[in-house]
Amino acid sequence: MDSLLTLTTLVVLPLVGALLVALTPKAATQLQRLITLLTTVVVGVIGVLLYLRFDGTSAAAQFTQTTPWFTLPGGIAVHWRLGLDGLSVLMVGLTAVLGPIVVLSTWGHIEHRVKEFMIWLLVMQTGMLGVFLSLDLVLFYVFWETSLVPLYFMLGIWGGDRRLYATIKFFLYTLAGSLVMLIAVIWLIQQSGSTDLSYLVNYGGQLPVDQQLWLFSAFALAFSIKVPLMPFHTWLPDAHTEAPTSGSVILAGVLLKMGTYGLLRFCIAMFPGAALVASPWMMALGTLGIVYGAFLAMAQTDIKRLVACSSVSHLGYVVLGLFALTEAGVRGGVLQMVNHGLSTGLLFLLVGMIYERRHTRALDQYGGIASVMPLYAIFFVFAVLSSVALPGLNGFVGEYLILLGTFQASSTMAAIAVTGVIFGAVYLLVATRKMLFGPVTNAANKHLPDLNAREISLMLPVVVLCVWIGVQPNWFMDRMSGSLDDLQTRLTRARSEAKSAMAEPATLPAFLAPQETAR
Amino acid sequence: MNVEMMKQVLNAEALSAAAPFLALTVGILLLLLVEILPGTATLRPLVFLGTLAAAFGYAWQQANGPELRVFAETYVANSTTGWWAILFIIATLVAWLFARKFYREEARFEGEHDVLLLSAAAGMVLMAGSRDLLVFFVGLELLSVPLYTLSGFQRAKRTSIEAGLKYFVLGAFAAAMYLFGAALVYAGTGTLTLSSMDAADLSKSITIAGGALIAASLFFKISVFPFHLWVPDVYQGAPAPVTTFMATGTKAAAFAFLLPMAVLLPSDAAVLLAAIAVATMALGNLGALVQTDLKRLLAYSGISHAGTMLLAVAAQVSGGASAASVSNAILYYMAAYVFTAGGAFGLVTAMESRTGAPVTIESLKGLAQRQPLWAATFALFALSLGGIPATGGFLGKYLVFSTAVQADMIGWAIAGVLMSVVALGYYLRLIVAMYMQEAAKDATHGEGSRPWANAMAVVCAVGVLVLGVLPGWFMDHMK
Repeated sequence: MDSLLTLTTLVVLPLVGALLVALTPKAATQLQRLITLLTTVVVGVIGVLLYLRFDGTSAAAQFTQTTPWFTLPGGIAVHWRLGLDGLSVLMVGLTAVLGPIVVLSTWGHIEHRVKEFMIWLLVMQTGMLGVFLSLDLVLFYVFWETSLVPLYFMLGIWGGDRRLYATIKFFLYTLAGSLVMLIAVIWLIQQSGSTDLSYLVNYGGQLPVDQQLWLFSAFALAFSIKVPLMPFHTWLPDAHTEAPTSGSVILAGVLLKMGTYGLLRFCIAMFPGAALVASPWMMALGTLGIVYGAFLAMAQTDIKRLVACSSVSHLGYVVLGLFALTEAGVRGGVLQMVNHGLSTGLLFLLVGMIYERRHTRALDQYGGIASVMPLYAIFFVFAVLSSVALPGLNGFVGEYLILLGTFQASSTMAAIAVTGVIFGAVYLLVATRKMLFGPVTNAANKHLPDLNAREISLMLPVVVLCVWIGVQPNWFMDRMSGSLDDLQTRLTRARSEAKSAMAEPATLPAFLAPQETAR
Repeated sequence: MNVEMMKQVLNAEALSAAAPFLALTVGILLLLLVEILPGTATLRPLVFLGTLAAAFGYAWQQANGPELRVFAETYVANSTTGWWAILFIIATLVAWLFARKFYREEARFEGEHDVLLLSAAAGMVLMAGSRDLLVFFVGLELLSVPLYTLSGFQRAKRTSIEAGLKYFVLGAFAAAMYLFGAALVYAGTGTLTLSSMDAADLSKSITIAGGALIAASLFFKISVFPFHLWVPDVYQGAPAPVTTFMATGTKAAAFAFLLPMAVLLPSDAAVLLAAIAVATMALGNLGALVQTDLKRLLAYSGISHAGTMLLAVAAQVSGGASAASVSNAILYYMAAYVFTAGGAFGLVTAMESRTGAPVTIESLKGLAQRQPLWAATFALFALSLGGIPATGGFLGKYLVFSTAVQADMIGWAIAGVLMSVVALGYYLRLIVAMYMQEAAKDATHGEGSRPWANAMAVVCAVGVLVLGVLPGWFMDHMK
């Protein structure tokens, strides 16, 4: 059994499942759902087992698997190189756990072209796991960009009324950033002669700071669009609103985290010198996103769009924490990635469930749902409380650490960011009141059936995780301590280099003299 | 020419270097014979495929053999020319197979069609191997004249005749430019053979002017700005299988010679070439964005792809990227393009052949329900044309842009790569139509079964995926 407990199995298994689904007859929808569910459950189990066996004290990549893939001209070997380390372990765990939940949620809202949907769902999982597990730059890029395709189909076929607009916008927006990153990837590979991330992470840190800044900008552009960071966020509300519930959950739960994960692994870990320079700017964008996203959310009348805009705000926290570059900030940032995936994922599930019953997302269509659907109300309130960071639940730990870390770096940013917590409580609690409490004003809401067993059982694991993280955060954060300590070492080194560079007389920036620096 | 000289020129080495070309020539003669002899018409496909198989065998030998320089250095055979020949043969095969059952009124001229197709293929092989301006010209004409005829092959259709005429007039113009350029180069260097030109003579302004004219005539064939205007009209008007062939084969053959002849261009020309390349990408992609006719759309997309490859040529001319890496990049790009564009144009052929009406984006709607296989493969081709990873198109793009980065042309590379975003704008629209929109009530395109087209679509799709997922096999072979 142990020989199957590998990262390659984790990445390839969903593809095998997709192939199996493709072989079933079109009408056998229950069989297709079942195969998909089983595949994701097995992936989930493998993911959890690997998570449990992961040694968090070590910064080195674990369970690594390396097979030569092909050789680029110039003799640079590209490998199928997978590995799990402290930066990716939580993301992989989250992706694996959310898999079956997403599949179970499709029972309610995917009625036509089930087969295709299940195939894309599984392909999507391969893409996401591949992004988090790749330790080869080319392989990473391949997974990064191919993971656009499944969501493009999921949005475009099963989405809402404006789905075509949303899906093309989503695809082109993210692609634009990725392509600029591609040029940086090519440059980096040619300069270093390697595609191995464990080598490049040291190589990148040794580059002159101005070169690091160029690379940082190219990578950061791609990741910021994915996150999405404030000025690049406009695709997100459209995509979220139009996506089917399961698409929204994947988008909020995992896909956006690919952006913040990229910021952490590439922009910060690989180019620490540039990250130090860019830190105030990125923190400012993060803070702006927090406040702006909150205001956006307050103005929404569509409950799904409201949750989508709250994502912009919440991911602002993540970026803020990461780019505070302090120990607490980065820890909080990574934990908050998971938290956002859980609580916003839960919110999207709940919004989807009520939409399946009423087929409207307009807030003013609801009211007094708590008296009709008490179980639903309990879960909804729980999700909202987790989202607004009630102490004892997951959000609190993450936000507290982020704000603490930010305060150490810049008290002004922390002061502005903290208002986001208040605004967040305002829009979410107001929406909750409008939706759940008060008298039932709309006759259509009088006889809504409450949650059924499937709906409860798919949300329960998320609820358990939310409480677990809130009560015992160290059980999760210990897994990343080795890698994050390593990250702090890199940052400290970069800080001292920056100090000594300031003492030296100014020289011509290296990028103005490309001949010397080219090779 | 006396016997001694004959022996010198026509030795075994020369014969083996020219073997793929000779195999095609023999095939042409056999096909003509089959046309004349009564009762042998059924042999025609057999002869055609046999010829391609023989040529493929010889080309394969070349691709894995040593470099041969023959006929007084006017012709070479090495692994690169071997791979080019293999690509041309595949392109011919794809076009021919998609042409099965395509013609109706012209069906009785199918013999001529096949002969012309083989002649064009022979011309392409000659073009790729030539290292002499005159030998190349023979290859160019051997390719072009059959293509003029083929473009106007559907004599009952006005658009086809128009395409043939347009292509002919502009092609003749380009040929004249080429000859004038070759004359100037001869005046400057005293030779037409690339290897015997002195470096000193190459920097004479008369040689540069000649090189520029030659390059311009090649730009006409590869369809880059500002010589691209004929492409949409001709691609649209010509019979669909011929378009398939033109889009993949002609372009490849012109690039195969553009690389060795780039020695005629001074390194200062690199910026100009890069500017032309990016302008071509921009014009091609923006042009494609507003098209509704699929053949026109793919024609414009082909223009933008030519621009992308020209960027690699610019990198070579600048001296920053090695000739080998540029040649490999373009070969890879073109290999992926032969399968993707070949498959895409081929599917358009298959859809068109049922009704004869042009295929538009409108008529693609709901194709995923009517023809799941075609829709799936067409979507794959669209993504590969757009350069999405896990397809051959991505690695081609990667290699081309890495030559540009190697030559420190990062600004141009970023400008070029961002054009892919525009390109995806229309490629995605195709997928939207096939998968995300309902068909009109009277949609007829793509009904009925066409086993040939199905098989070819699958073969092309496998080619695209293999080039994207297992590139090592191909990359290790091209050295």
